[in-house]
Amino acid sequence: MKNEDGDAPGAVSRFDQLYDKCAASPPGTIFFQRDLSAMQVADTMEELLSLINWLCGQQLMKMMLFDNEPCWKIRDRREAEKLRTLTADENVIYQHIDQAQTEGVWIKALRAKTNFAQPTLNKCLKSLESKDLVQSIMSVKYPNRKMYLLSYLTPSEEIAGGLWQRGGDFDLGMIEQVSQIVNQAVERETCIRVPANWNNYQPTDRAAAIAHKKAHVQGRLRDIEDGVPIRPYKPPSHGNATRLVHRSNPTYPTASSLATFLNAADIMKGLKAREVDMEQLLEMMTLDGRLEKVSAIAYRTALNTNDTKTFNGFVDAPCGTCPVFDLCADDGDISARTCVYFGEWLGTESEEIY
Amino acid sequence: MSYTQRETPVLAELCSFLVQDIYGELASRVYSILARYGRQNLHQLVKASYLNRRQITLGLVTLVQSHLVFHSSPVSAVTAYEIDWQQSYALVRFGRVVKMVEDRFGKNASAIVGNLLEHGHTRIGDLKNAFFPPQDPIEDSEDEGVNGAGTKRKRTNGTHVNGTDTKVNGMSNGSLDEADHGAGDKLYLKTVDEFYDAIQLLMQQGWIMRVDETQYLSPGDFDQVALTQVLDARWNGQMPSGTKDKGIVAREVLAQKRSTRDAWAEPPQFATRKRKVNNRDHEQPNKRLKVNGANGWASSGGDGDFSAAEEQMPIRINREKIAVAMRTEQLVRLVEQRLGPTTARIYQIMLRCVESQVRRCFEEWPDPPIDSKKKDDEPPSPPCLYLVTAHDVEKQSKDFDICEGLDPHAVSKITGRSLDKSYKMEDPVDPIDLGHHERLQLIHAHIENLARDPFHFATWHSRAGHSQWQIEFEDIAKSLIQHEIENTVSAKKPQLGLKLIRALKKKGRLDERQIGIAMMMTAPDIRAVVNDLAVQGFIQTQEVPKVDRREAKHSIHLVWYDRQRAREKLLHDTYKGMIRIIQRIAFEKEKVQAVLEKAERTDVRGNESRFLGRDELDMLNSWKEVEERLLLQLFREDDLVAVLRDFCGPLVSA
Repeated sequence: MKNEDGDAPGAVSRFDQLYDKCAASPPGTIFFQRDLSAMQVADTMEELLSLINWLCGQQLMKMMLFDNEPCWKIRDRREAEKLRTLTADENVIYQHIDQAQTEGVWIKALRAKTNFAQPTLNKCLKSLESKDLVQSIMSVKYPNRKMYLLSYLTPSEEIAGGLWQRGGDFDLGMIEQVSQIVNQAVERETCIRVPANWNNYQPTDRAAAIAHKKAHVQGRLRDIEDGVPIRPYKPPSHGNATRLVHRSNPTYPTASSLATFLNAADIMKGLKAREVDMEQLLEMMTLDGRLEKVSAIAYRTALNTNDTKTFNGFVDAPCGTCPVFDLCADDGDISARTCVYFGEWLGTESEEIY
Repeated sequence: MSYTQRETPVLAELCSFLVQDIYGELASRVYSILARYGRQNLHQLVKASYLNRRQITLGLVTLVQSHLVFHSSPVSAVTAYEIDWQQSYALVRFGRVVKMVEDRFGKNASAIVGNLLEHGHTRIGDLKNAFFPPQDPIEDSEDEGVNGAGTKRKRTNGTHVNGTDTKVNGMSNGSLDEADHGAGDKLYLKTVDEFYDAIQLLMQQGWIMRVDETQYLSPGDFDQVALTQVLDARWNGQMPSGTKDKGIVAREVLAQKRSTRDAWAEPPQFATRKRKVNNRDHEQPNKRLKVNGANGWASSGGDGDFSAAEEQMPIRINREKIAVAMRTEQLVRLVEQRLGPTTARIYQIMLRCVESQVRRCFEEWPDPPIDSKKKDDEPPSPPCLYLVTAHDVEKQSKDFDICEGLDPHAVSKITGRSLDKSYKMEDPVDPIDLGHHERLQLIHAHIENLARDPFHFATWHSRAGHSQWQIEFEDIAKSLIQHEIENTVSAKKPQLGLKLIRALKKKGRLDERQIGIAMMMTAPDIRAVVNDLAVQGFIQTQEVPKVDRREAKHSIHLVWYDRQRAREKLLHDTYKGMIRIIQRIAFEKEKVQAVLEKAERTDVRGNESRFLGRDELDMLNSWKEVEERLLLQLFREDDLVAVLRDFCGPLVSA
């Protein structure tokens, strides 16, 4: 080492040369020995090794193993500077956190691996955090676990929860906004708004056609005075209102097509939706009843032509949503006779309870 | 115990109310004893009540006549009585059945069905005499026995039943009172021929079946009888000992039960009838029958009559068929909600096309699944397919606008006319002018909409008849149940409840965090809903300890959803809701009792406006409104019961 140190002043440019050449390639590139020698910075293999050694000692390079073959990655100069100031303990911890990469490492696992006492560990982590080398985040999967990972990494989906979560919680506002936009997009693709009078045909003079049209017109005018028996299924009398129907041969949107659409619209402040994120959102909207699945991957808008709020016989009666339904008995304070909800619903008086 | 025969206190109460409503207090007293104590013989019944033996016998006769109780007299020395819960509940559907029959087969048939419903069963000949009293006055005395027992049931003698008749008729919707006046100036059943036509049609369509003494056996007795028959026939009356043989016996017992039951609904060969009734023709029964009615009385003496054996045959309504019809109505309503009225109309036509082939909604005694290990030489019977072609539908869709409810682009493509920018037809199309092929294509487009719906109302089968479609009732029935449960939950807990149930149904057992991810919400927001729904019994919670000591902190808390449990819970609640409605009706009636009594006086009836004061009239009107509203709700709850109970067997592995 001393020898190398002695050589250092003359070789400074060589170190920098090697480092710069490495830095010129895309960030995160991994260099094997043959890559580094191909840069033709060092004259001999020994010299190259000493250069690499020096860079590693300066934390400017990180040595790794791939298939039992050594390989290297370069570090940012500023980060290397910080790393040089670390104590031995801190360094060990840093190595472990570094290993976990985006998955992060749980503080308890860290302790088990390093065998450090809790106070030492805490102290080291604190100092690492203060140097802005690591960050601590909450795991979504295990909300009570504190995870550590390198500060420049974004936590993996496992612990951070993907696109729709912020700091462990679902970003409800964003989800709502995005799902509305997606909903509209799906509706545009799969539905069509038809005006009421889209097929405004004139009746022919055949008797059947006349009766037919008569019923048609009466249905539209809602002429209830005239009790002419009209067909059991009269055309819906929605006046000028338009109505949504499914398109006859749509290209059904899928998670990937909607993700592309959303990213193109660029409404999420630079965030990009991946296919899995979109899948999650669409599944949720299907649960919600806004969309329905037509095949394994395709979705369409769920239509409900019945706008009135009717559910079924049970819940439309007062009993269905009664808060004291389970207490209600044949007689006693809560019964059909004394029921205030029935009274309200029917507009009649119920028996008073004294 | 038979699945359909499991009764709950709530159902018992509900049925007691229904019996009281229709058959009066005595029958209902006897009924409620049976409801409380279960299977009883006459002696036990007397002991369990304050009524004397005569009164109880009278009550029982009414109940037996209307098939509300099973009795074991065909097989045992001491007759035991047991309530038929399905039939008892069916009392609430009387009006609906008459309506459904009228929709399908016209007034003639509905008059017959109405009569049969109120009297339980009658012989065909007696029923004929009720509608067409014999001219000979001497025979009038015989007419008393219209509802006399079938030859087999000695317990029921005519007089007793007729004792209840007046009451029964009092409750009827008027059609019968009219019918009893004979063939005067009524609008339906003008001739005996029409009567026979209607009976024959109803029997061929499976709405009416013959009365058989085995129908009076409770499920337990029925099982015994079937078992004895099987053992006598193949096993020399001895129960075999081997497991494999026992399995075979069980299978044969089920087959025996099915064949007995199927024999009930088998229409007799109407050999004496010259004209065959065309099954497909029943859409316009009125028209057809009128043509025949021109023959008038003249023909009734000759070829029109049934043979003497047929005249003697006692008949009753087939309950299973009613469930089938209710399923049709329910599905059509659902389609109307989801896809609009026109498509619903087409679906109605499709369903009615297959209705005559559908005997029942689900097999009550299905064969147990065959072990995959041993593939016997007997192949499993091919599943029954219910097929409809677009061609069938097209024939019956002339009276409404089949262009409605479709994407205008599809219509314009089929008819070859162009659309303008706002999707309006530039050259409007009158569906009546369209050619046969174009109409077929339009129908096809509607059916495709049905098939594409998540409910899969129809499934493509083959290209026969332009396009042939299959209706997979079982899957649809299951989705219907799910749909109603979801409806209920979303009414109780808007938004979140529905989402939660669906998430659990899709993903199975989940812990809190997983629910959160599925619903994309935070755990605290969900907790309240989970709690509420668990308390109401729609979802279940479960605690799995991770360590020996059961600690909340060291346990996994799971939430799950079981369709069958939720279904039974909702069914139970619905029964209870129906009780409350009936009680409320009674209460509302009590409030206006005085006015009602006055209004029902013979001199006041018809002249209400003259004899009643203004406030009395107001009270009467508002009571009518209230009653109507409550009854309507009662029938809607009955719809729900039908969905939950009658369309699909127990969902054991769901």
